[in-house]
Amino acid sequence: MRIGVFVCHCGSNIAGTVDCKAAAESALALPDVVYATDLMYTCAEPGQAAIEQAIHDYNLTGVVVASCSPRMHEPTFRRTVERAGLNRYMFEMANIREHVSWIGKDMVANTNKACELIGMAVAKLRNNRPLYAQRFDITKSVLVIGGGVAGIQAALDCADGGIPVILVEKEPTIGGKMAKLDKTFPTVDCSACILGPKMVDVAQHPNITLYACSEVDDITGYVGNFDVKIRRKATYVDWSKCTGCGTCTEKCPSKKVPDRFNENMGLTTAINIPFPQAIPKRASINPQYCRKLTTGKCGICAKVCPTKAIDYTMKDEIITVKVGSVIAATGYDLMDWTVYQEYGGGKYPDVITSLQYERLLNASGPTGGHIVRPSDGKEPKKVVFIQCVGSRDKSIGRPLCSGFCCMYTAKQAVLTKDHIPDSQSYVFYMDIRAVGKLYDEFTRRAIEEYGTEYIRGRVSKIYPDGNGQYVVCGVDTLLGQRIEVTCDLVVLAVGIEASHGASHLAEKLRISYDQYGFFLEGHPKLRPVETNTAGVFLAGVCQGTKDIPSSVAQGSAAAAKVLALFSRDKLENDPQIAHVNPARCVACGKCIRCCPFGAIKEETFRGQLKAKVIDTVCQGCGICTSTCPQGAIQLSHATDNEILAEVNLLCQY
Amino acid sequence: MPVLEGKELRIVAFLCNWCSYGGADTAGVARATQPTDLRIIRVPCSGRIDPLFVLRALLNGADGVLISGCHPNDCHYSAGNFYARRRLEVLKQFLPILGIDDRRFEYTWVSASEGQRWQQVVTSFTQRIHELGPAPRLEDAEPLLEMADMALKPLRPLGTGQKAPLDELKACIKSKIKDLDVVIGWQQGYDAAHTVPLFMRTEEDVDRLVWGPFNVNNPATYVNEMIGKAVPLDKVKKIGVVVKGCDSRSIVEMLQEKLIDKDNIVLFALPCEGTFDMARIDRELGRYSKIDKVEYDEAGVTITADGTPHRFCITDYAQGKCYNCSMPLAKDADDIFGTAPEITGTPSTPPELAMLDAMTLEQRFSFWKGEMDRCLRCYACRNACPLCVCKDYCIAETREPHFISQEWNVREKIYFQYIHAMHLAGRCTLCGECQRACPVGIPILALRQQLVRIIGQLFDYKSGMDSTATPPLLCYKVEETNIKQREL
Amino acid sequence: MSTYRFAKSSDLPALLAFFAKENRVLVPVVKQAVKPSVVFAPWKEGMDFTLDKPTVPAKEAVLPPSETLVTYEKTRNPEEPDKFLLHLDDTPEATPTVVFGCRACDARGYATLDRPFLNGLYKDPYYAARRNSLTVVTLTCNSGCNTCFCHWVGGGPSSPEGSDILMTELGDGYVLQAVSEKGKAVLEASPLADGQDREKEVMETRKAAWATLSKKPDLSFAPDRVLARFTDTDFWKKETERCLSCGACTYFCPSCYCFNITDEGSGMGKPGRRIRSWDNCMSSLFTREASGHNPRAAKAERMRQRVTHKFATYPENWGAFSCMGCGRCISNCPARIDIRQIVLDAIALGEKE
Repeated sequence: MRIGVFVCHCGSNIAGTVDCKAAAESALALPDVVYATDLMYTCAEPGQAAIEQAIHDYNLTGVVVASCSPRMHEPTFRRTVERAGLNRYMFEMANIREHVSWIGKDMVANTNKACELIGMAVAKLRNNRPLYAQRFDITKSVLVIGGGVAGIQAALDCADGGIPVILVEKEPTIGGKMAKLDKTFPTVDCSACILGPKMVDVAQHPNITLYACSEVDDITGYVGNFDVKIRRKATYVDWSKCTGCGTCTEKCPSKKVPDRFNENMGLTTAINIPFPQAIPKRASINPQYCRKLTTGKCGICAKVCPTKAIDYTMKDEIITVKVGSVIAATGYDLMDWTVYQEYGGGKYPDVITSLQYERLLNASGPTGGHIVRPSDGKEPKKVVFIQCVGSRDKSIGRPLCSGFCCMYTAKQAVLTKDHIPDSQSYVFYMDIRAVGKLYDEFTRRAIEEYGTEYIRGRVSKIYPDGNGQYVVCGVDTLLGQRIEVTCDLVVLAVGIEASHGASHLAEKLRISYDQYGFFLEGHPKLRPVETNTAGVFLAGVCQGTKDIPSSVAQGSAAAAKVLALFSRDKLENDPQIAHVNPARCVACGKCIRCCPFGAIKEETFRGQLKAKVIDTVCQGCGICTSTCPQGAIQLSHATDNEILAEVNLLCQY
Repeated sequence: MPVLEGKELRIVAFLCNWCSYGGADTAGVARATQPTDLRIIRVPCSGRIDPLFVLRALLNGADGVLISGCHPNDCHYSAGNFYARRRLEVLKQFLPILGIDDRRFEYTWVSASEGQRWQQVVTSFTQRIHELGPAPRLEDAEPLLEMADMALKPLRPLGTGQKAPLDELKACIKSKIKDLDVVIGWQQGYDAAHTVPLFMRTEEDVDRLVWGPFNVNNPATYVNEMIGKAVPLDKVKKIGVVVKGCDSRSIVEMLQEKLIDKDNIVLFALPCEGTFDMARIDRELGRYSKIDKVEYDEAGVTITADGTPHRFCITDYAQGKCYNCSMPLAKDADDIFGTAPEITGTPSTPPELAMLDAMTLEQRFSFWKGEMDRCLRCYACRNACPLCVCKDYCIAETREPHFISQEWNVREKIYFQYIHAMHLAGRCTLCGECQRACPVGIPILALRQQLVRIIGQLFDYKSGMDSTATPPLLCYKVEETNIKQREL
Repeated sequence: MSTYRFAKSSDLPALLAFFAKENRVLVPVVKQAVKPSVVFAPWKEGMDFTLDKPTVPAKEAVLPPSETLVTYEKTRNPEEPDKFLLHLDDTPEATPTVVFGCRACDARGYATLDRPFLNGLYKDPYYAARRNSLTVVTLTCNSGCNTCFCHWVGGGPSSPEGSDILMTELGDGYVLQAVSEKGKAVLEASPLADGQDREKEVMETRKAAWATLSKKPDLSFAPDRVLARFTDTDFWKKETERCLSCGACTYFCPSCYCFNITDEGSGMGKPGRRIRSWDNCMSSLFTREASGHNPRAAKAERMRQRVTHKFATYPENWGAFSCMGCGRCISNCPARIDIRQIVLDAIALGEKE
């Protein structure tokens, strides 16, 4: 090898405390170094030109630059050496600024350290090999999992960008949690009015294929080329024939079916359409309650259906699609609040969740928008809202803040007053978190204009007073007093967690999730919609708590990522990935077990089992390399020999 | 390269690119003054760091080694630091048995934003190493030889196994042998006091099967080359193995690691009453005496060698592992004959390990120097190991990767033992074949015993007991129960 | 007429001190362990030593487990800074050495190594330098043991081949007999008393030793019979089924001489080394080619190589077995593979055919 070493002064940033000239001279004593010099600003145009010139003049086959952190300028210099005809990986950097000149003033020690760091870079470079990226074709389509507002936004943006979208929703309709809401804060505009048009757009967009009542069974493959198996659950109604006329739901004799869409606040029929604006507006049969399916006797819906869409023999169907990218937007579910025995543990009919309360408020809800008590159907006059039920509570292992409860509680208090002008609302809260645009102003309005009584403190117990009302016992921590409120209805702001089944999906997608099941983003600040699996993006609450505007923004952001990914016809992989030497592999499978990305598979090679890295899936962490006992799998650019060369240079006995 | 005389010590750091290297950059950008001793090697992920790098550095004269990665849950590759945490904790706890002060090695987590924390980590680690002073060198150590005291109490009565239902076993093997490519057992060797592995293919072969305290070899050692994953698919056949309880653990471990397929192996088991430590018998008889005959009784044997009878009671002359054995009869075998004896009491510290436990760090360092000096690098220890499945490709003899050189010194010799031990971490069942195979009697089992102890304490895990368990270093927990974070 | 000297046990340290004046003296020492071993170590004043049969042969005196053949240093040419000067040093290192207390089988090992290293087309200068400065003091065996069979392969408990001095233990001490010119000169210069009068006793003791040996089979057909089995894969498979492919048999053999050569270091800053180290034909790596192909991929093929070399091809080239019958490959084998049995089986099969 012929190595050139370039020591950067970085003005006085390095040269102030490192003798750059001496460091360059010392490099000449290193093996394979044929040229060494010091430069004022290596990253500047003249510096880069000097490197290119030296590569030509001295026939260099490798370059070491001793300057700032490789996290800063490694890409810059890689391009420099590439311009001069070298492979970009025949380059190493010695970080003599952040790790030397900036952290000490001892010129002798600094210069000695700089010389050693250059020595390490040379030692590693001598073991480097040229690496080449591979280009591969991609399928330009995207799978969006979850049809809540985030998924809808992502799907629409991708579709508008010209990308075919497959939207999978496990419920019979898209819309997610937002579709269940009455109004949205802080503008108190109608949720259905703003979401509805978007849902219709989804249904009508030529680039979107919607699979409702469906779930992702399996995903294999890698960025650009995922194979997805989607399970379309049996609805017993042929949706290609169903027109959503609703005749069946009117005639269905099984009328005591808990209404899931209404959060079980009312009853519906065994065959039903979740709500009037449902997309797709198609009927489906709940097989648990359908008389035909449970007893074999009935069949009324089939008789009345004008298009003969009912099919009692329908089975789950698996369809396979190819996509190039995946957006997970699986949203959230409420935690099981019945662990709070002090709130009745679910025994008191008039202690309900805020989402149930939304359905009571909603004009298309089970009560037609009239707030009534579930127990006796009477209008409540005193309503208590309890915040942080399952949020910020270490005692049940849920220290997280659910983020949006403060705001919707204020909204619900406002709406309560609107619906029942002579009512009084009480809110037990810990802190009011109102950090969004116009959010604090809105909360102030709830208190000041609508007379909502905010009590800072937690509720220790709720019990029925025997006269049809409930006593809420708590502490007002501002006054330092115990407080008891007798009320007609209690609304709990129940904490959220990732939607049930999110962890299973994460495993299928090979992405990580945290203790609440929320998916882990690529970087908490800088890669908030990416995951560590290339080609898989996140949108909405599945990544962490957020309100509607943030979910929509993240949906658009994820779509932008997908569109950027698909702006190229072929993808290039990063060649700093692991490779198996089949001659040394004994197929013990340890690497396969450890790979966090499922990037290693077993294959038969000349009649023997061997491990094989899927180039496009490997992310280059190297866990496999440190796991393989015989070094048969090596991470390119961080091979055992490359690292050992650095160790051995430093530790020579 | 030389360390600045009198000023600096040699401290090597391995930093993950995404968090800690960035943290060190952040510290630099903030002009956070730090000692100059540290030299940073950038790796993609803390999971990339092979504990062998650390051992190489420490053996080659590093005075301290520091590793830093992303905080748990923040790994760029989602799980690299979880694997690293397990492996590095095992390494840290392993060092003292080698005579290396474990304070010379530390691992921690620093994020890319934590420049100040990085400064603190470097400063306090460097200070710690300076307080410890230069690391002792193998060259300077005075060789020390010491012998373990083998006087032990078994957890169950030991015997000579002469009442074991061997004939029933033979009949069973004969009935199955047609369906099996081979059945491995033991036969008499060149004299009555030595057995050698027997490979049964015919009924006549089965008649040569013996059972007793001389059945020292672990037949599991041959399993991988017959039905292991590296065997060409068209050559894998179904085999049978006669096992003692300890042998079966090796096979269970192989099943656990999915190195072999249960469909390809049939286990035949008899209750083992203990096997002889041939090293101690040879010491009594003289290693080269001619054996005239061996007579069995219930508690031992009388070996007549060069005309003189010598009586060996099994309770006094069993292999070290037999005293602590709590599974004399393989529980997962397909065909079991006889019943397992009752186990009473709790296992004691193995004698080799107890000896090292009683030593100071300096003494242990000297001990390994003294012992490893006579190693001929024949690799009998490795090749006798039933779990060394990559022995034909062992890094002890390769250039790619080039972990170890052929230079003749204790450093290279002992490094191989470190490699072997680390590669067995969480896998070794303490069958003792490595030590038994060593022609020059180096007590290398102690290294494995220490690892097994560490793994047991850290992960509440015993290898080779449950074929469905996952070996502890091939998995992780987000919250580790027994790994306590140390502050730097 | 030979030169004889007599030494009481208590005289031996003085004798070693005499040798040590101008030599490195390798003596057997016991390494205490649960499994004790006897290895050769350089003698120092006051050091304990033993005359028990060494676990390891004294092969290292002529063929060390690892030796530096060449050191190389690269320096920059001051005239042309991008060119280098290479300085090589390949001077064989040879310390005058006395091996004391090896056995006749070990000494015959030297004679066996001499043929390929000194008498072939190429003379190995490293080997030659050490061999020429070696004096071998062999202790004759007073009895055979359970694994040794020197008398089968052309040796015996008091075979003088390869030795300079034969030492025989009598009831009251040791008689040393010069069996080479070098041995004669050493003995004559030594401080030991004359032992000529004990010659008869010595000869009787040696004869008695022969009587303790096991019955000797006829191995005269062994080269042909072993070679005849060369293509009999089943034979080798059966014989080596329990082999673990470790190198104990070869590393403990007084006459195995396969080696490997590796380079260490770049030669800049610190001299680089070209190292010759023991290698062994039992290892799969020994014959594995860079392509990954291995002509001796199976352990049966490797064992065939070892036995055939010792009992057929070496004899074909050099007229003698290259097995010394020391039995160390048997006693040190973790699976107790018995090379005697393999050869006898080959002969028996040949007879049947």
